[in-house]
Parts: sequence; C-alpha cells; structure tokens
Amino acid sequence: MQNILIVDDSPTIRKMVRASLQAIESVDFIEASTGLEAIEQLAVTRVQLIVLDLNMPDMHGIDVLRFVRRNAHYKSLPIVVLTTRGDETSRQTAKEAGATTYLTKPFAPQILAQAVRDLLDAAVEASPRA
Amino acid sequence: MATGDTFFDGFLDDYFAESEEHLTAAADALIRLDKSIGHPSAERAAVDDLFRYFHTLKAISAMVELRPAEQLAHHLEHYLRAVREGECTLTTAGSDALIEGTRRLEHIINAHRAKSPLPAIEDVLARIESLVGTHGERPAATSAVADATETGRRWTCRFVPTRELLAAGIGVDLVRKRLGEIGTIVEAAPHVLPDATISFQFTLLTADGIDVVERLGGIPLTVEAETPPAAEPAPAAEPAAVAGAPNAAISHVVRVDLARLDHLMQIVGDMVISRARLADSLSRVERYVPASEWRVVQENAIASDRQLRMLREGIMRVRMVPVGEIFRRMPLVVRDLARENGKRVNLELRGQATEIDKYLIERMMDPVLHLVRNAVSHGIEPPDVRIAHGKPPEGTITLSAAAVGDMVTLEVADDGYGVNEEAVVNKARQAGLSVPSGPLDAAAVLGLLCSPGFSTREETDRVSGRGVGMAVVKAMVEELSGTMALDTEAGHGTRFIIRLPVTLAITDALIGRVGAESFAIPQGSVREVIEIAEADVRQLEENEIVPYRDAALPIIRLSRLFGVESTARTGRLHVFVLGHGSAAMGIAVDRIVGQREIVVRTLADQLVRVDGVSGATDLGDGRVVLILDPAVLARLTNQRPRRVMPDAAAWGRLPANGR
Repeated sequence: MQNILIVDDSPTIRKMVRASLQAIESVDFIEASTGLEAIEQLAVTRVQLIVLDLNMPDMHGIDVLRFVRRNAHYKSLPIVVLTTRGDETSRQTAKEAGATTYLTKPFAPQILAQAVRDLLDAAVEASPRA
Repeated sequence: MATGDTFFDGFLDDYFAESEEHLTAAADALIRLDKSIGHPSAERAAVDDLFRYFHTLKAISAMVELRPAEQLAHHLEHYLRAVREGECTLTTAGSDALIEGTRRLEHIINAHRAKSPLPAIEDVLARIESLVGTHGERPAATSAVADATETGRRWTCRFVPTRELLAAGIGVDLVRKRLGEIGTIVEAAPHVLPDATISFQFTLLTADGIDVVERLGGIPLTVEAETPPAAEPAPAAEPAAVAGAPNAAISHVVRVDLARLDHLMQIVGDMVISRARLADSLSRVERYVPASEWRVVQENAIASDRQLRMLREGIMRVRMVPVGEIFRRMPLVVRDLARENGKRVNLELRGQATEIDKYLIERMMDPVLHLVRNAVSHGIEPPDVRIAHGKPPEGTITLSAAAVGDMVTLEVADDGYGVNEEAVVNKARQAGLSVPSGPLDAAAVLGLLCSPGFSTREETDRVSGRGVGMAVVKAMVEELSGTMALDTEAGHGTRFIIRLPVTLAITDALIGRVGAESFAIPQGSVREVIEIAEADVRQLEENEIVPYRDAALPIIRLSRLFGVESTARTGRLHVFVLGHGSAAMGIAVDRIVGQREIVVRTLADQLVRVDGVSGATDLGDGRVVLILDPAVLARLTNQRPRRVMPDAAAWGRLPANGR
C-alpha cells in the first residue's frame, strides 16, 4: 500500500483530490491542512507522494518544499504542486524549490490522476527493490 | 474548461459549506480591519487573513466552475496582495470596496445555490481595480511596529511528533493551538535534529509570570525560557488580543448536512442491534469457554457496550440544537396578534438554551406557534377585563423549555382566563362529540379540546394559524412519541405542558413479555412498574381496574389487546403505569424482562400499522419486538366512556374479576 499525502487548507479541495485519485490501485490517503501538519505526517508515516497546495496559513507550500528537499531522505519523493490559477508566477519558484510536477486549480481529475500514476510508476521503477 | 465535466458537481454542498465559513470569517476580518486603524500589525494580520480567505474562495470557486466568484475573489485577493506587498496603501475607499466585494461574492454564491441568475460583478471589479496602485490617506504599515509586542518572556518550545502521540490526538496542530492560548507564537518552524528526526520549534511570547510548562497540561514539549530581554518597561503597543487573533477568525463550527447525521445514526442503530446479537451469541457459547477466558470476553463486551452508548450519545449531541430556534419567531407573532386583538401581552422566554433534536425542532415549530397564538387570542383577557378582575392590564405568556433526563418539556403558560370546563363541555356537545358525564379532570378537558372537530370554524382561520387546530398539535406530539398535559385554573391561567423524548431513533425501553411475545415500551413514558395480584383486579363496566395509590387504575392486558395467549400462571400481573390523572392507565404483561436500548423502526406502511404500536425493533436474538405507543394505548382506554372512579370505600363492593 502506498501513502499519498494531500496537503491543502481547504477541506473541499482535499476531498476533490482524494476523489480524483480514488481509482488508483492500492493507495491510501493521509491529509494535512497546514504545512506543519504535512511535515508532521511525513515524520511519522511512510509517504510515497505528496500533493501540495502552496498558499497555506502557517507555512507556505514553498517552504514545505524546501524543507522536504533539504532532508536527504526525501530527495526523490515525488511532489505534485497544486496551486491556484493566477499564481503562475510561483511556478518557477516551485520548480526551483523542488516540485516534481506543477498543476493548477481548477484541475481535471483525470489529469491529476495520470500525473500521480506516472510518478508512482516511475518511483517503483527507480527503486532497486522493484 | 479543462476540468472533468461534472465530476466535481458532487462537491457543491462541500463548496457551499466551506464558502460560507470563509465568508463569515472574512466579514469578521473586515470588522477587525476597520478597527485596526493605527495598529499596523493588527491591520497586517487582518489583511493576511482576508488574503487567505479570498485565495481559498478563488480556488474552490474555480473547482466548481463558478467563474464570477473565482474572478471576484481573484480581484479581492489581488488588491490585498498589493496592500501586503506595499504596492498600495489600504484606504477607506479600499476597505469599503472589500466590504462590497465580499457582499457581492456572497450574493453570487447564494444565487448559484438557489440556481437563480448571478448578479453582475463588473462594477465591483472596476472599483477594486482602480484601487490597486493608489496611495491613500492611511499611513503605511511599518514592520518595526510588529516587534513592539515583544515584551514579557520569550520561550523556545520543541515538539517531536511520533506516531503514538498523533494517534492519541497530540499533534503539531494541538501544540500550536495550546501554545497560542498561552501566549503569542512569533515563529513556528520545522527542524531536522542531528539524528534525522523532525521536530517543530515554536518561539512563544508570554506575559511575565506565566509558566508555560505548568500550562501545557501534559503535552510533551521541551521548553526553554530565554533570558528576558533587557528590562525596558515598554508599554504594549497594542492589545495582544488583536495581534494574536488571526486564527481565531477561522470558525470551529462545522456545518453538517442532517442527512449525513441521519446516516450515522442509522449505522449506530445497526451497531446496537449487532451488539445485541453478539450478546445473544456470547451467552450461548459461554458454557464452552473457560471461565478465565470468559472474563476477558465479558470485560471487552462491557467496554464495547459502554463505548457504543457514548458514540450514540455523541452523535445525538451533534444533532441537538437550542430550542431557542422555535422561540425566536414568537415575540413578533405575539406582538402583532396582541395588537390585532386589542390585548396587552408580555412574552417571557425561558430555557432557550435547552437542546433538542433538530428533527423535533422542525416539527414542533407549528404546534408551539399554535399554542402561543391560542394563548394570545383565547387565553389572555382584554385589559379592561383584567383590571376588573384585579389583574395587571398586561397579560403574561411564558414559553419555557427544560430538559429532564431523556425528555424535554415545552410549556406554554398564560395568566389569563383559564379553561372554562363548562364552556368546553357545551361546545363539545354542540360539535357532536361524546362527553363523559360527571366532573372532568384536566386530562379529560384536554382530550375534548384536542378532539378533531372541536375547533369551530371561526378559530380555524387566521387566529389558530392555518387551521392547525389543537387536534393537529396533539397528533404531532404523539407522532413524536410525546405527551401533552393541561393545567388550568379558572381566573388564573392555563398551562400546556408538552413532554418529548430528546431523540427518536434510539431509546431506552422496558421489555415486557406476554406468552411467547415480547413488547417494548419507551422508558420515558413509564411512570412506574407495579406488581399486583390477579385477585385485586376488579371489573368496572368494560374496564378492568386495579387499586393504585388510593385510586383506581384502568388496565389493558396486552394478551387481550393483541390476542396473544398469556402464560402467566403465578396469579400475579406486572403492570407498566403510564400517564397522569384520568389519563393514567396500566399495561399488564406476564412478566417484565428488563431494560434494553432499542432502535426504533417506525411502521409507516398503512397495511401493517396497528393501533397502539408505534414501531418495531430487533432485540438481537433475531425476533422482532413491537414497540408500544403509550399515547394511542391511552386513547384506547379513554374511548370507552368512563364514570368517576370509585373511592376506596366502594372498592370492596365491586365484583372481583370474573374467572
């Protein structure tokens, strides 16, 4: 079972992300509504992929990204940054901070699902145990 | 649009609920913003909060493809970003535009919800756009001021999350919340310790003399007090409450669709039945299990019982809303009606905070309204009449609610005429109703008042409120498994007392057995359980009566009512005593099995409906048990004309029960 961590301060968006990814086989979802909670979840569970919002109250998604990438353990953890239309300026910043994939809200469920599927597959192939 | 057709339409309810939360929080932040003139850091906090609310509103509106809302939220966010980044100054015109924009956003979302045409936004957009890039009369926020709050003590707190702590509900979110209650968090950041574990470090400012460790209440944190900054008695630049408020604006109230709670309740109901089944199976395997093992099983069974009950009560509590919702409409109704009728009425409300199931609130609204209207139009005398009787010219109607155990009492009382028994009897006769002879007690009078056909035409027009007569009031109360009582004194006033179970779905019941059949009776309606000898039963016309507290109590034998053969051979009857006054009655069964938690399944099918049975339940052994409806059973006895009950002296002269 692979764990996907969904980070967004909007419960509606979290629910939509979850619904979009529901069809992917053998994944479990963990949710966090703030950046700090996201890092806490990372600390206590094995997470295979993060879907990350940028604009959050306590800790900006970019800071979450930077923190995660600074930790050698999470160097290759796939992170899908999901941010709102109109914030495209942050795309470059997110890329630099270590986002694997960048999508904007509104997102099409099948496009998000495909992106996540691709990243999970790639991670499995890259893993020596696969 | 690139999104998946109608994929996200199923999330509209979530969208509306969440938008409402953000809009409420935004309104709150706008008020804070308005008050923050001259307090740059408070202004900053309000701007930050508003920015976030509009940002989220933009995102979720985009997801549900509500384009105008997305666009407007985007503009509002854009303006706030400009303010935040110092590109423009927040002006009064700006704050007005934010207020207007928020209001319009709310209109758009509400219109979308109501499926009505969306209001135009062009004017607001233009207004906001014209603001960006303007520098106005308000002074710009300087970051130096933000540091001025740093008086008192400074603490560094470290929290290391673990799976166990998180499972126990202790996570970074709770830590932050608790610390936020103790002082002001100036910084919160994650750190990686040398051994690669992740920790969170909070920098906290508190007033002098506060011990953070003491106030943490068992949350495992490493706390270090930093040396207090150079003692300079700097006056607080602004109240910390304003600066520390940002997160308080996010409401901790969740709106839940009632259907979801119903669904949860249904699941709990199923669990109650499964639990009972499990208990039944357990009792059958008990003899095969070694005693030492059995004790563990038993302990677990008891624990799960208790947890299930707590779960049920927890869900019930979520469904509870203050009864004040019913009361809120009343002052206006009373005022208008009093004016129309030339009365002077003072309305007193009591116990508005009493909580009652949402379902009951909705159904009790009209009946209570009816009673209140009745009290104004029929209960209270005109001022001249009141003065003539030595009463103050202004009458008083008291509407009160109180919770007693699993029951809620609603009372509508007035200090008016009181119910005139003679007038009621005459009117009932005119209406062709059968009236018992002899003096009537309050319950009998209420019975007449509530008989269908009692209300005359003039009453069923506007005064009684869309024809909701007393009969309808009573029917509704009974449908909700409640009871109604009347307390009246000529010249002094009238009081209607409605007792309702707090909730309907699951209730405690007493289980009685007749022959091979079990019957459940809601515990709330049972006043007492008595045991009497067969020999004490007397026949009075068509009723069987038994002595009860110096009076006589008519009893119904379930064996006869439902045609079940009684197997009691002990010569003793077990009787559930229900109701008060002349409405008191007993229900006789062979034996009483005990008290159980039952899940009520109503028998809605007209073909299956039986008078006196309100529903069915499953006790867990697979057998269906009928739930008795006390109100209807009481009526079954009352339908037979009743004479005045004999006094104690006459008791002995009555024939013993023929057998």
